Amino acid sequence: MSLGRGPSGGMLSGERRFALLLTSPTLLVLLLTTTFPLIYLVWNSFQTINLAMPFLDGFAGFDNYVDMWGDQRYWHAIRLTGIYTVTSVSLQIIIGMGLALLIMQIPRGQWIFRIVAILPIVLAPVVVGLFWRTLMLSPNFGLVDFLLQWLGFEQVNWLGAPTPALISVIIIHTWQWTPFAFLVFLASLTALPPDVYEAAKIDKTNALQRFWHITLPLLRPAIVIVVIMRAMISLAAFAAIFAATGGGPGTASEILNLYAFKTSFVELNFGYGSALAVSLLVITMAVSGLLFYLRTARATKTAA
Amino acid sequence: MSNKFDPYPQSPPTKWSRRTLLKTALAGATALGAPGLLIGRAHAAGKHMDLESFRGAGINWRMAEGEKITIGVIPAGYFKNLEEVLPDFKTLTGVDARLEMTPPGQIRQKAVLDLSSKTGTWASHAADPMYYMLYVTNNWIDPLDDYLGNGKLTDEGWFQFEDIQPGHRGATSVDGRPYGVPYDGEATIQIYRKDVYDAAGIGPADTLDEYTANAAKVHNPSQRLWGCALRGFRGAGQNMYIYPSIFRAYGGEWFDGDRVTVDTPEALAALEYYVNLLNNYAPAGVENWNWPDIADAFGQGTVGSYIDAHGSAAVVANPEKSKVVGKIGFARWPKGPSGKRVTSIWNWSFPINGALSDKQKQATWLFNQWAGSRETQIATSYAFPGAYKRTGANRASLWSDAKFIDMMAGFGHNYTQAAIESFANDTDPDWRPRLPQWPAVGDTMATAIQSALVGQATPIAALKEAQQKIDKILKG
Repeated sequence: MSLGRGPSGGMLSGERRFALLLTSPTLLVLLLTTTFPLIYLVWNSFQTINLAMPFLDGFAGFDNYVDMWGDQRYWHAIRLTGIYTVTSVSLQIIIGMGLALLIMQIPRGQWIFRIVAILPIVLAPVVVGLFWRTLMLSPNFGLVDFLLQWLGFEQVNWLGAPTPALISVIIIHTWQWTPFAFLVFLASLTALPPDVYEAAKIDKTNALQRFWHITLPLLRPAIVIVVIMRAMISLAAFAAIFAATGGGPGTASEILNLYAFKTSFVELNFGYGSALAVSLLVITMAVSGLLFYLRTARATKTAA
Repeated sequence: MSNKFDPYPQSPPTKWSRRTLLKTALAGATALGAPGLLIGRAHAAGKHMDLESFRGAGINWRMAEGEKITIGVIPAGYFKNLEEVLPDFKTLTGVDARLEMTPPGQIRQKAVLDLSSKTGTWASHAADPMYYMLYVTNNWIDPLDDYLGNGKLTDEGWFQFEDIQPGHRGATSVDGRPYGVPYDGEATIQIYRKDVYDAAGIGPADTLDEYTANAAKVHNPSQRLWGCALRGFRGAGQNMYIYPSIFRAYGGEWFDGDRVTVDTPEALAALEYYVNLLNNYAPAGVENWNWPDIADAFGQGTVGSYIDAHGSAAVVANPEKSKVVGKIGFARWPKGPSGKRVTSIWNWSFPINGALSDKQKQATWLFNQWAGSRETQIATSYAFPGAYKRTGANRASLWSDAKFIDMMAGFGHNYTQAAIESFANDTDPDWRPRLPQWPAVGDTMATAIQSALVGQATPIAALKEAQQKIDKILKG
């Protein structure tokens, strides 16, 4: 081995070895806290582990995954997860963008809105779920129901009927996380170069044209990042729904994460619950992988 | 007089968590060498109880002196009272026992995780009777006949295990072997607004159909009075706590040989009864109501009647919380088409964690005996100095004790009679299907019942789906 061979060489140089030595405690902790549980989860998903029937425990091969295929409640949960993610992310982008554009028009005092926007984000999702469940959406006494009835609308049993319950949990998630999109967009808008807009004004474009042809393309990186981050979080949402509806009524708001939780910790079927969790992991990775791919594919195309 | 007894409601969990936190902090401080902190709070030795009657028992109460044990319980008034008299246990035995308040929604999961990982964190805990099959299948807890039959550990003539309500002992036994010492139990009874019923010229329902008719008669939402309410919230301990009584009253059988059956004609009739009753005469939102919500609504005078645990009377008859004190009547469950009235056999009981050392097991057994003993039952109910005196005393002899009956008379019309008769005649060992897979089966049924209630599925479709899922659960 020679000192001049660099990183591509067969053995590590003294400096790199030293660096590895220094980072190894961190790597080890990361390995133990993130990688190991993940591997353990995948391992469990190939086992039968059912506390109610310990005598059946053992290696299951792909049985849990085969069961999933014929499990209606699983497909129902997948469908709800899809609806939940697509609608809540779209709403966050649209409303967040609208708010950011609106606030940009205000010459001073934008900081107030930034602070107000932070508030929902810093609340714990469980608190948010309970807050909506009791103060906002409960029949007769909730603020939303009160306002609707005061305005002369019919009473809606928000958390007690299947479709309104799904809509409610989407609204709750959107309420909490739109500020995140809003803040990102606001920051990006502030950073946009003013000269492009001046040039466009000289060309006598209208506001809509400027938005469509200048603002939106320039904001694209920010939008893509927000979509990726929010989609990943929405797919794995749990606490707010758990607190607001518990996945109910019936199974009307039981997204995949809740179903996996119930299977493991209520039904005590850890093998099948692990398989459900692995499937959620695969879906989340696939979706975000796809989004990242689309982003880089478009980026290289534009660059070329 | 009704104000002779001033019942204290079970505090909401949020209030307690702060208190629990404080206590944990205190316990921590004690461990760090500041035992003086606790003295102000602790009661003088033997303040609540006459410890001499314990010492009369032919066992050595100091056999596990110096042991430390932790017992998981829920933050409810009846365990709070036990905690108040706990210093007497330490004086008697020299065992340092600590109660850990855990919200009812989490105590089962926490116990299962502790037992399955064999960490022995909780020497005992307030156990759900439906979980005994699961515990025993996994050998997580010790059978108690070994303890009861051992003259060194138990003086049977003094402890009188047989005096504990047979329904509760049955519910905590598996294949005839006892596994838990019942501490607090309840029967479900009819609770109604006597003033409203009297004005309408009706009495408490004798049959389930009459119950619906009564609800229809007093139902008047424009005046903010709804006919009735039952637990609607999804959960093995919520809607699956009320539906089984209706199911059995309709003649439903949980077992067909080894198979669990939930889609029989009786099951369907029972579910349709429940769904129609609540959809027609219960307030909006009832599908998310558990018993505290129902008791609150009844206390505010917006519900004509409900069927739930007799202990909930402590809330609706509390003048600080309720507007209907003095207007409440009580009766047994209405009869179903099968002619049966079926009440719950719910109770909280104390098992012994099998992962403990022998010495710790002795300490835990002493605690279980102490908590289940007649003396402690009395000290936490009518003899308790605080405002809340618990009503779920577990001993048959107490239910004929004049002082106990006196205490109960304050709740309203026919309370004691309804509760005593329910315990004596309406308990049903097959109230709910007892099997190790209960957590999964109970939750599946709870989901089906709520789906049917909110119209996500028809009753028959909901039950068919539940049956399919249960068949799969039991097959493994």
